[in-house]
Amino acid sequence: MVSRYILSTGNVMTAGAEVIRKPTLEKSNTELVNSLRENFKAASSPALPPSASPNPAATSGPEIRLAPEEWTKLGSDGVLYVPAESSEPHGLAEDREEYDVTVKLFYLPGVPSSSRCTHTEEAVRLVCRELGISSIDLLIVSFPNISFDAEDEDISSEEDVSEWVRTYRTLESLHSAKKISKIGLAEFGTTRLSQLLPQTNVKPSVDQINVRDCCVVPKPLILYAKERGIELLTHNDCTDILPVDTLRQLVVDEFGLFKTDAKLVPQWVVKYTAVIRSRGVVENKGQVN
Amino acid sequence: MGLLALGTPLPWDEARKHADQVRDLGIKALSRVHVGGRVTQLLQIWNKYRKNERDVLLWGDEIEYLVVAYDEETKNACLSLRQAEILAELAKDENLRKAGGGVPDVQEPADISEPLPTFHPEFGRFMLEATPGAPFGLTWKDLLAVEGNMKLRRAIAKEHMAENEAPITLTSFPMLGTKGVFTQPYYPSTGSQSRSQFIPDEAINPHIRFPTLAANIRSRRGMKVAINMPVFYDENTPRPFNDPTIDYDRRLYPEDDDVRNGAAKEGHIYMDAMGFGMGCCCLQITFQAKNITEARQLYDQLCPLGPVMLALTAASPIFKGFLADVDVRWNVISGAVDDRTEEEKGLKPQKHSRYVIPKSRYDSVSTYISQDPALRSEYNDLDLVIDKDIEQRLVGNGSRPPPCMNVGEVNVGSSGSLHHRCLGMDERLATHFAHLFIRDPLVIFQETLNESPDDKADHFELAWKNIQSTNWQHMRFKPPPPGGGIGWRVEFRSMEIQVTDHENAAFAIFIVLLTRAILSYGLNFYIPISKVDENMATAHRRDAVLTEKFWFRKNLFPPRKPVTNGSQTPAPSCPGTPPPVEDEYTLMTIDEIMNGRQDEFVGLIPLIESYLNTVNVDVVTRCELAGYLSLVSKRASGELQTGATWIREFVRNHPDYKKDSAVSQGINYDLIKTVEALGNGQGREAGLGDKLLGKPN
Repeated sequence: MVSRYILSTGNVMTAGAEVIRKPTLEKSNTELVNSLRENFKAASSPALPPSASPNPAATSGPEIRLAPEEWTKLGSDGVLYVPAESSEPHGLAEDREEYDVTVKLFYLPGVPSSSRCTHTEEAVRLVCRELGISSIDLLIVSFPNISFDAEDEDISSEEDVSEWVRTYRTLESLHSAKKISKIGLAEFGTTRLSQLLPQTNVKPSVDQINVRDCCVVPKPLILYAKERGIELLTHNDCTDILPVDTLRQLVVDEFGLFKTDAKLVPQWVVKYTAVIRSRGVVENKGQVN
Repeated sequence: MGLLALGTPLPWDEARKHADQVRDLGIKALSRVHVGGRVTQLLQIWNKYRKNERDVLLWGDEIEYLVVAYDEETKNACLSLRQAEILAELAKDENLRKAGGGVPDVQEPADISEPLPTFHPEFGRFMLEATPGAPFGLTWKDLLAVEGNMKLRRAIAKEHMAENEAPITLTSFPMLGTKGVFTQPYYPSTGSQSRSQFIPDEAINPHIRFPTLAANIRSRRGMKVAINMPVFYDENTPRPFNDPTIDYDRRLYPEDDDVRNGAAKEGHIYMDAMGFGMGCCCLQITFQAKNITEARQLYDQLCPLGPVMLALTAASPIFKGFLADVDVRWNVISGAVDDRTEEEKGLKPQKHSRYVIPKSRYDSVSTYISQDPALRSEYNDLDLVIDKDIEQRLVGNGSRPPPCMNVGEVNVGSSGSLHHRCLGMDERLATHFAHLFIRDPLVIFQETLNESPDDKADHFELAWKNIQSTNWQHMRFKPPPPGGGIGWRVEFRSMEIQVTDHENAAFAIFIVLLTRAILSYGLNFYIPISKVDENMATAHRRDAVLTEKFWFRKNLFPPRKPVTNGSQTPAPSCPGTPPPVEDEYTLMTIDEIMNGRQDEFVGLIPLIESYLNTVNVDVVTRCELAGYLSLVSKRASGELQTGATWIREFVRNHPDYKKDSAVSQGINYDLIKTVEALGNGQGREAGLGDKLLGKPN
């Protein structure tokens, strides 16, 4: 019985209309779910020439699907890959140094923090394999249940902080192993930053906060970040990037990958982007979980 | 518009005899091939560029200014004709700075090492063009520097003008060509170059190239240009409207017969000189692509956006002192440089002319040029007029195709020697150039005809530029000039200049970000190019931005790449039938195009936001960019007015306006003062320009 699954979106940049919808109205968990769905659809439908259905409206007819075992693959590591990995060579079109590769790792709620170390290493390894690279430029981690609020920010409990620190050690060791060049945090306000920072050896280079608030960033945070050389970046990711129910609906109800009584626990989600530095062109962006 | 070397320009009767010679030289520049058949340094230059695969994104904008001069005694806002003096002042300071000095009294940004903006002359002697001192890149810092750089340009220009002068960014000067005094100093409209009833030759840049251009267009055409823009009928406008400013009795030049022969149309504002068009100001953006393939892709993808952006930036509702029933300048310029003869226009049986040509030299693009498989042959649906001989020379020796047919490559024959007739350009690109070459060179300098063996490259380049720079289409494809350092470029030319630098920066940045989204998502904007022409006509209509619909592609995304799983059998090779082209596009409002339509159409601004959510953007940048995108979005939705609507409303609400379409000297004075104030960021607290720009923060 397979107990671990890796679901992947493929390159979202080339996935087209079904994935990219009005981003102003929807946060990026729609993008994640849509792109998983589209990638599964593409993999599970009998091979058709791409030109047969360039119009999304044309795909709404009754769908014929391959059996799950035909489009998924059990890896030698005991993990079921959904969809099966493409046999095409992975990687980037141009030389590695042309790109900025950013990876954002979401630790999910309900998952013991003790497994974050393994998850982090696994996620970084997967992304590197997907893009055919040996290191990434920026790894941003997003802890569950914290979200930035421009108005007020609670002091986090000591347990929380010590959990962050434990996780942060993994990031630091990846940094010293030259697997990642820069470390980033998500949704940290001044209070959280000042709680975490004294306990870090490699300082974070980035703090990512939600785009909704980007014009009302509190001055203290701007000053604090500036003093410590932390770049404040924006994102529009959902804090709850992959709720269990949404996942269940997708993989059980829509694609019949699991029995209806299967217990599903999403462990982590990783999102990666490869941007051509001097031209600002996003070549590859995908999500794995 | 770059200035060519001074020399002796040929009058049209002489110039026409050398047209083929210039075309021949020009095509050699394009092929960078020595006539003698030897592989030369020129070939090496070409090859070097061809292989230039990874040029970085560089881009720049061009801002064109009208220089106004106020006469406070008569409350008159005129055009200042002191272009040459102002440029001389600017040059003096530039030299001063080079020598370690600075521009005195100008508020410069802290970074003194930033290269000074460059100022250039333009056709109108009342115009200035300014470009950034160095091209912008794509760092956020660069994007955010655009508006500041534009403001710096405005400030520097102003510093070098007389007390009563100011640079303004207004697409067309309302009083140009009116009966009163509209230039400082005043000149009567009796000049022999334009032979216009309305604009004196003294309003043309006196550099010999420009009057010759005006005169040779007129001579080639066999009459003066005739621009007729529909008048805006207001409550008290006489019906039918017959342009009351026309002098039907003037007998100074043979061309004075034009109006007696019906050159002026009823219901229209009539204009008779190149200056009416080339005196308009535009906002143009040029990009350097990573290679020729990407340049061709961007050229094509931006092409359908030309008319949309024209309508969205509409800012010219007044011509020759009358409110017009159009909002944009485009057709005025198009008519102002239309050098086609009656035969070429198909009005007379073809006797002397080589072709019947459906468009002016200044018009919308007539052919797509990319080799992208997304370009279906149905999209190039205009019957393109080309110089077949030139096309053959570019593609290769007609009877024997060259061994390789790659993009713009020079083929070296099997013996290692170069076929100078065998350039091996693919047919699509060759067709584009062969289309440009149907035009005659308009200004030929005697000196450039005498070939000197030392500087052939320059010589060819001049001839090529001669053709290229007088083909004013809404997109321009620019091969690298010789000398290295510059890659393949594409210029987006349809936008109108906006009153404030904030707006100009917003539209420039919008286009830059859009190109990044196009390249990142592989977007496809193709519609049949005849529909782009239709959109261009639509874009002219008054308030087209809110009331008209434009042809636009429904699905911008490329088809999903087929997944080839290891466990799956490969896709069958038989291609599916693509849907009919007519199903690919539909009519949309500009609001729908920009902001999206429910679930049916994503919208360009949401697409750009999606791109911004994908790349790492710092909070300050994102906030600033949101401000620019919001302006563009609100113009599209109607929440903010276009410049054209705002100006029209300004006139119609002015106490002096008699509801008869006529813009008086007093109204013009107040309008120009207001435009200048807004351009300098003044009056906003008092609510000035709120409908145009939104409430200030």
